[in-house]
Amino acid sequence: MAPHKHSSSAGGHPVGFSSGGKANGLYQPSSTAMAAAKKPNMQLIQADHELFLQAFEKPTQIYRFLRTRNLIAPIFLHRTLTYMSHRNSRNNAKRKTSKVDNLLFKVEKTRGEQDTQSLASNLQLTFTGFFHKAGKPSQDSENEQNSVSLEVLLVKVCHKKRKDVSCPVKQVPTGKKQVPLNPDTSSGGQAKPGSFPSLLVPSSEFEPSNSHMVKSYSLLFRVSRPGFPRTQINGLANGDSHHGRDFTEEAVNRKRRGSSVREEGETTFVAQMTVFDKNRRLQLLDGEYEVSMQEMEECPVSKKRATWETILDGKRLPPFESFSQGPTLQFTLRWTGDSPEHSTAPVAKPLATRNSETNQDTRPVTLRATPAPTVKESINTDTQTRREHILAEPRQKLRIFYQFQYNNNTRQQTEARDDLHCPWCTLNCRKLYSLLKHLKLSHSRFIFNYVPHPKGAKIEVSINECYDGSYAGNPQDIHSQPGFAFSRNGPVKRTAVTHVLVCRPRRTKPSLSEFLESEDGDREQPRTYISGHNRLYFHSDCCIPLRPQEMEVDSEDERDPDWLKEKTVKQIEEFTDVNEGEKEIMKLWNLHIMKRGFIADNQMNAACLAFAEHHGAHIVKHNLCRNFLLHLISMHDFNLISTLTIDQAMAQLRLLQNQTNKDREDEEDEEEEEDWETAVESQPELDPDHDPDPSEYRSCSDETNIVENGNHQHQQQQDEEEEEGGATGTGRMKQKLSTRGSVQV
Amino acid sequence: WAKSGIKYRDGMWRRRVKSEYMRLRQLKRLKKAEEVKNLFMSNRQKIEEQTNLLNSDWSKLRIQSIPLSTSSGPLSGKKMCTVEFGFPSFKPQAIAMRPLSTVAGIPFMYSWSPLQHNFMVEDETFLHNIPYMGDEVLEQDEAFLEELIDNYDGVHGDREGGFISDEIFKELVEALSQYSDHEEEEEDDAAATEAVGKKEEERVMRRTRDLSGSKKIPNEKIFTAIASMFPYKGTTEELKEKYRDLLEPPSPVKLPPLCTPNLDGPFAKSVQREQSLHSFHTLFCRRCFKYDCFLHPFHATPNVYKRKTKEIRMETEPCGVDCFLLQVYQNMLRSQRSRRRRRQQRPTSSSCPGPSGSTEESKEGDSDHETTSSSEGNSRCQTPTKLRPGDDDGEQQACCVVQWSGAEESLFRVLHGTYFNNFCSIARLIGTKNCKEVYEFAVNEALIHRVPLEDGGISPQKKKRKHRALSSVAPDNSSNQVYNYQPCDHPDHPCDSSCPCVMTQNFCEKFCQCEHECQNRFPGCRCKTQCNTKQCPCYLAVRECDPDLCMTCGAADHWDSKVVSCKNCSIQRGLKKHLLLAPSDVAGWGTFIKEPVQKNEFISEYCGELISQDEADRRGRIYDKYMSSFLFNLNNDFVVDATRKGNKIRFANHSVNPNCYAKVVMVNGDHRIGIFAKRAILQGEELFFDYRYSQADALKYVGIEREVDMT
Repeated sequence: MAPHKHSSSAGGHPVGFSSGGKANGLYQPSSTAMAAAKKPNMQLIQADHELFLQAFEKPTQIYRFLRTRNLIAPIFLHRTLTYMSHRNSRNNAKRKTSKVDNLLFKVEKTRGEQDTQSLASNLQLTFTGFFHKAGKPSQDSENEQNSVSLEVLLVKVCHKKRKDVSCPVKQVPTGKKQVPLNPDTSSGGQAKPGSFPSLLVPSSEFEPSNSHMVKSYSLLFRVSRPGFPRTQINGLANGDSHHGRDFTEEAVNRKRRGSSVREEGETTFVAQMTVFDKNRRLQLLDGEYEVSMQEMEECPVSKKRATWETILDGKRLPPFESFSQGPTLQFTLRWTGDSPEHSTAPVAKPLATRNSETNQDTRPVTLRATPAPTVKESINTDTQTRREHILAEPRQKLRIFYQFQYNNNTRQQTEARDDLHCPWCTLNCRKLYSLLKHLKLSHSRFIFNYVPHPKGAKIEVSINECYDGSYAGNPQDIHSQPGFAFSRNGPVKRTAVTHVLVCRPRRTKPSLSEFLESEDGDREQPRTYISGHNRLYFHSDCCIPLRPQEMEVDSEDERDPDWLKEKTVKQIEEFTDVNEGEKEIMKLWNLHIMKRGFIADNQMNAACLAFAEHHGAHIVKHNLCRNFLLHLISMHDFNLISTLTIDQAMAQLRLLQNQTNKDREDEEDEEEEEDWETAVESQPELDPDHDPDPSEYRSCSDETNIVENGNHQHQQQQDEEEEEGGATGTGRMKQKLSTRGSVQV
Repeated sequence: WAKSGIKYRDGMWRRRVKSEYMRLRQLKRLKKAEEVKNLFMSNRQKIEEQTNLLNSDWSKLRIQSIPLSTSSGPLSGKKMCTVEFGFPSFKPQAIAMRPLSTVAGIPFMYSWSPLQHNFMVEDETFLHNIPYMGDEVLEQDEAFLEELIDNYDGVHGDREGGFISDEIFKELVEALSQYSDHEEEEEDDAAATEAVGKKEEERVMRRTRDLSGSKKIPNEKIFTAIASMFPYKGTTEELKEKYRDLLEPPSPVKLPPLCTPNLDGPFAKSVQREQSLHSFHTLFCRRCFKYDCFLHPFHATPNVYKRKTKEIRMETEPCGVDCFLLQVYQNMLRSQRSRRRRRQQRPTSSSCPGPSGSTEESKEGDSDHETTSSSEGNSRCQTPTKLRPGDDDGEQQACCVVQWSGAEESLFRVLHGTYFNNFCSIARLIGTKNCKEVYEFAVNEALIHRVPLEDGGISPQKKKRKHRALSSVAPDNSSNQVYNYQPCDHPDHPCDSSCPCVMTQNFCEKFCQCEHECQNRFPGCRCKTQCNTKQCPCYLAVRECDPDLCMTCGAADHWDSKVVSCKNCSIQRGLKKHLLLAPSDVAGWGTFIKEPVQKNEFISEYCGELISQDEADRRGRIYDKYMSSFLFNLNNDFVVDATRKGNKIRFANHSVNPNCYAKVVMVNGDHRIGIFAKRAILQGEELFFDYRYSQADALKYVGIEREVDMT
């Protein structure tokens, strides 16, 4: 949505609650209550008004705030909405003809141009001529009148300092030139480029210089034409220049306070163009320009009454009258030399396409840049009404009556408008259907019902009691962007919660009937397509918000949470009459079962084999093979596994054992000298073909334990016990037993 | 003078007892505080590590930066904050105010532990802490607290004032005996100076006492004094006895280790099969397949189970050129003697004693004798008794030179009980002996005649915690009452009216000790469909399909996939829906569902602590006060309490118009609570179920409804 500026008097106000009706466009309180009780008492009216305010004030305030916010930082553009398609000036017609090959061509072209442009620095102005219908043609070459004197000033608007009332302005004269009046352009190549008067504004002028920080630069053209009757151009300049925006926005009437009428019979025309706006953006690109000039007004206009015009984008194409009639100044603008600012400047586009793109952006800026942009007030209001008139005319005075229902729909007030602007956000919907759709979708705090009316339309407005004020946006935003409130400069890209929506809802033909009040009460509202997850979820263990990428993982729902694993290990460790080997196998097995979640007897064969597969290495490493065998036998005793499984599992283990033994032997060769323990340990203790005598076997396993001390905590504990001998082990156990009982007699 | 002296003495002793006792307690407290501090610190460290881990994870994530407004931005709506100083030398400083956007608070939540399966806990007879009810304790609350404390045996740590543990008692006596020693001396030598060298003396005393090792029972006065200070601890004599008892253990006579040595360790001993397997047998839960499971307090030992198949097959082919079978064959040909030996061995293996009278659960510390004798059906070989390695040395040396370690011998006996005379397999499993050696060892073992066992001597109880006895099942069951299932075990008679399963109107399960052909056994279903209609006998009986009984519906396969054709096995497989936690639209937290579900689909199991009804009563009182309860009646014996442990469904709120319903289902012998969809539920919907159907007085906890109810 383009930023629309409204003067307070321009009728752009939404429903005027407090201020009452304005003369233009608002048919104020033709309310039924008022009509009935004109004389009874003012109190009743007051009370009624109070009720009315009560009902509508809050939501209206909210929508007005939102309107302003949307102007500053639009979340979406109205023109992209289906029902507002007429606001979209672009079409996709070009797409059909576009070819991929053209892309490269285009890029290359722009590249080349940019290269040349980057060299530019100084602003060179070559004036082709000053055109004014009222003037005489330039054939009369001898006549002194065939040229006018042009003065070009560079206006620098500086930042306001504390004491300044208004922005200080500096004017730097760049030169005076004689410009041909109404030259004959039809005979194109007649004049060589060099022959035209030209001016050069050095780049240094655009660099920040003295104490005042320059906000913006603009060029002020001042043409003095001697002996010209001014009345002839007066109305023209005022009336139509409002719409003469498509060329350069600077064509608005302006008057500098300082300027004055030169001499009798000499008229001065002025025009101003912004070179750099306050954001240091280059506004003037290389190209040919034709500036519509304004005659200087004498009467000083007070600043307060200054106003400007709503731009009805594209609604009424401005007439080119001003250009056909003048007064206009034609010149060619060129940046030469190298300058830091312009390298990035885009290429000038053809005149016709420039308007829609830039003028709205820069307009407020330029207005601000000029110290006293003034339009004669009387003329302004004049044009205003005139415009309104024109606007309403083609629509046959479509009048919209807003009927506000409140106090449980017992009271109502009616207001009428002549245009199709939304009363809350002043958006020009330009079609009744669009207006209704907009109201319905954007202002859902109200309920709107459409009632056909001979003069146009009646819209019943009531408060939507069912309005869900909860945050409907992405719930992640609230938490994932704990940024600063009100700190947004513009639209912020949100955390994406991506849904693939394959949905082609039946799109009914737009018809006004869809806004009629439905008889059967609440019609089934179409379900939201992305149902459900419109809230922020939390992790159940820590209450931290769930980030969108974590949505798919069902965390905290595992079968074996850490605490449970620890618990089972601890619980087994607590036993005093279970030996370390047994404990170790039991712990391993429990964790295995918990992880896999076995539930059936017939899973046990597979479970044991999987256990051997996954924990085999650990079992071999920690010398638990026999305990594992005991476990298997026990499982077999419980009738859960077959002997075949025992054989298979043990075979797997033996395989691992042989491997590790082999590895150890290999290592042993290298580490023989430094570690005698490994040497002893690496005896193939469980080699089936080997018959170790018991004493040797004993010592060997003893060594194993010592070596593996560091590997496992429990193992370590066991080993400590074992090193101390069985006696100490019982000592520890005893301690446990004694703490259990107490002197309870 | 003498009398007053005695009185003085008594008073002095009492004072000594008191001061010593206080000192000891102070020490204890300090020690305890130190322990707690250490634990706390280690916990902190753990947390820190975890936090660092998480932080490093986070730092790796790509997080969208927050666009901050630059100073060039519109200054509208921005306030400047300035700091001004009284001193002129400091310039006032100003910065744009950046208000943070408000973040909605989240509801209150007590911490809880996640769980996907019920967890049985014992009754708490001690109140762990006095519940905190807010800062201002109202009058009625105080009354409530008193009443609450009456329900318990006491409050944790409350009795500290008069509490003497064995340890403190012993230390107290020892500390006091120093005085007494001193006093004796004093009496001997009345002129002994108190100030000089008292400490020295004491130290000497102590040293001598320590050196002497066995010490005399201290002065009687000490016990008298203690007895007068702590009258409920018993008389002087009793205390003396107690002290003597306490002195006993450190004496050189040590109790034998309660556990069998590690078979993989260096001290493995040659023990009985039952001894080797004792831990595995007693701790293994046949229902959870885990050791010392969280759910079932009693684990039946396996020997009482009947073996389904007699899968023991004799190896017919020799395993190698040195196989014992070849040798046996030769021996058979060669000598009659060896054949006789074999025959002698056979009878031992096959002839098993008749059915034992009572097969108690191993809890009772059944003797080896009993356990083995009960293995009648398995035709398990009665393993010969304990062999001291030294005993059979001579004999072994006689036939072969092979040395058998204790571990190997134990292992052999274990395997022999399973593989019988399949010596090739046994040898393979033992690994260190070949089958010939095994065979010879077996022959030797069989020859050695049995040594009677000492009862209970080798069968220590696996008991680290006292298990609460099950609340006795009242037989006056009306039909709507559901009792907890406990595997029945009455070997001498079939499941008739005296069978606990029959009495509680439960089916016999695969865990029962009764015959497979038992009339009370549930046969399972033979459905080929989804088992979600009453056509399915399992569904009709509010049971989930048993993967070991229902072989056709799919409950017994598709282990690796989430899609099972049988829809009646969701709880056991944990096929829960993805649930999400968010502030509820109703009250507090709520449970939300991630994906849409259809009517009657399983959503989640309501998990928690399994507590007895008594315990639930006690806890319920506190929960009532808090106005928040996670109690859920499971059956007549147990209640599921999701307060401390649970899963996300615990946050589902109550509604009279719910979208879910709860159903207690028998799942492989356990009652479990399933939450199912009452209607089709869309994704993101909050889940509700009607507490009233499951919780007797759930209305208490739903404030609004209660008010409505009362008016």
